[in-house]
Amino acid sequence: MKVISGIPVLDEMIEEIPEGKVLTYWIDPEVEGNVFAMQTLFTNLERDCRCAYVTLTYSPEVVVSEFNEFGWDVENYKNFNIVDLHSAYVGLPSNCKYSADPTNVDEVNDVLMKVIENCDLVVVPVSSIIDVCGESSIECIGEWCDFIRDKSSRLVFTFVSWPYPEKIENFIKVNSNAIVRVGGVHHRVILGYYYGVVKVDWKNIKSKAILFKLVRPGGVRAYIPKILVTGPYNAGKSTFVHAVSMRSISVDRLGTTVALDHGHLEYRGFSIDLFGTPGQERFDPILKIIGKEALGVILVVDSTKPETFPRAKQMLESVAHFGLPYVVAANKQDLPGALPPEEVRKKMYLPEDVPIIPVSAVNGEGVYEVIDSLLGLLTGRLWVSEDEPESTA
Amino acid sequence: MSLRAQLEDILKELKSTGDIEASAIVSRDGLLIAADISSSVNADAFAAMSATMLGAAETAMSELGKGMPDRVVAESSSGKIVATGAGERALLVVMTTPKANLGLILLQLGKASKKVEMLLG
Ligand SMILES: Nc1nc2c(ncn2[C@@H]2O[C@H](COP(=O)(O)OP(=O)(O)OP(=O)(O)O)[C@@H](O)[C@H]2O)c(=O)[nH]1
Ligand SMILES: [Mg+2]
Repeated sequence: MKVISGIPVLDEMIEEIPEGKVLTYWIDPEVEGNVFAMQTLFTNLERDCRCAYVTLTYSPEVVVSEFNEFGWDVENYKNFNIVDLHSAYVGLPSNCKYSADPTNVDEVNDVLMKVIENCDLVVVPVSSIIDVCGESSIECIGEWCDFIRDKSSRLVFTFVSWPYPEKIENFIKVNSNAIVRVGGVHHRVILGYYYGVVKVDWKNIKSKAILFKLVRPGGVRAYIPKILVTGPYNAGKSTFVHAVSMRSISVDRLGTTVALDHGHLEYRGFSIDLFGTPGQERFDPILKIIGKEALGVILVVDSTKPETFPRAKQMLESVAHFGLPYVVAANKQDLPGALPPEEVRKKMYLPEDVPIIPVSAVNGEGVYEVIDSLLGLLTGRLWVSEDEPESTA
Repeated sequence: MSLRAQLEDILKELKSTGDIEASAIVSRDGLLIAADISSSVNADAFAAMSATMLGAAETAMSELGKGMPDRVVAESSSGKIVATGAGERALLVVMTTPKANLGLILLQLGKASKKVEMLLG
């Protein structure tokens, strides 16, 4: 049975977690990275895989409630198993099918191997085990890694990277077939969290850092803090932002945007904030302020008004000159005389590879195709296959 | 302590002075950096609007050759919003109760914005 990571972008990158592999989430202590492993588990639970979650420092009840916090009702799945090392550790009887005393190496080994035989995926909190059972426990963990190699199961480790001795870090690195780092970033002024693939031995890829947000319920969402929606006066930028967003606001006065449109969208594992700009030239200083640090641009044009295309080009140049990915929404396709996308490309002298999508923002037609197209460009830049030369962007 | 925790401490301290109901540190280009706002408020949109408000006021004032405004104050019968620069990269914005003493608030805000500037540059 195929097992996937369940994490946006990561799934496209690594495709699956093949049998016999160990994937480690390598987590900065300041980040709630455990959610990654929980999301991997729940995604596969929903796909009918048999999954197990080893817990040591939290009771089984707390584990279930943590899953619930993200909207993951694990308790309703027959294929969900908790491996309870907690109860024996605090001196209580366990009522889980799988349990062991963490201080008894042989007992833990026996149970773990049984679980590996019976499950497609086993999540193990390795750093908690090292904390409780001491450095020598890595030998035991190493045995599970060896044991799983020829089994039809996978191990997912969570390793919270406190300053452990180098020996332990190296041990985890050597025994992991894939490592996904989950950390905090302070990139210019964006304070946030990111993840990225550091290593994966079944694919030849390099990844960049992917920002993420935790959503409750929901889990890990790839986070795109700013997509700019710009274009000439009256092109339909505000209409577009409202059409795609779950919640949105505009500062429009007398029918035109005087400050900005702001919209938020949760879509295909992404959490996206859209910033719509005013279109009229007298507001260009505002465009300069809020146009900074955008990750991508949607240029909205009124397809019935080719006379506005030079202005559209100029706006694009003022925000996209750092090689930002952009797509063009050829809006108002519902009106007679609207130019088809290829005509718009010709009249604007745009390169062949720039996506131009036919849209009718008032009717909500084509608007998600625009988002899909931009996400395609954005995620294509987040990772590269080392077999192909890196694109020059 | 992480940068985020330090920034959040500055906001907590602001709140403890009383009369400040909510506060946020926002990048000049409108992204939320840290906030102490009830979850019913759309904080991301509030951040974007605050940056636009201050940015527009700065542009308007410097167009007139009057230099940079120290702050922007918006007042209504149910409260005030005060936005002030906090270094080149960020700004600080607070929401107060209607009775809040503006002089006192500005004093606290001035101190806090210096701290933010030290952290974010
Ligand atoms: N027929 C048609 N009308 C549209 C479409 N999209 C927007 N409009 C109309 O075009 C006008 C301008 O739309 P807005 O969304 O305010 O345009 P904008 O680009 O935000 O304008 P500014 O902010 O003033 O630059 C409104 O009357 C909309 O109803 C569309 O797809 N088809
Ligand atoms: Mg508008």
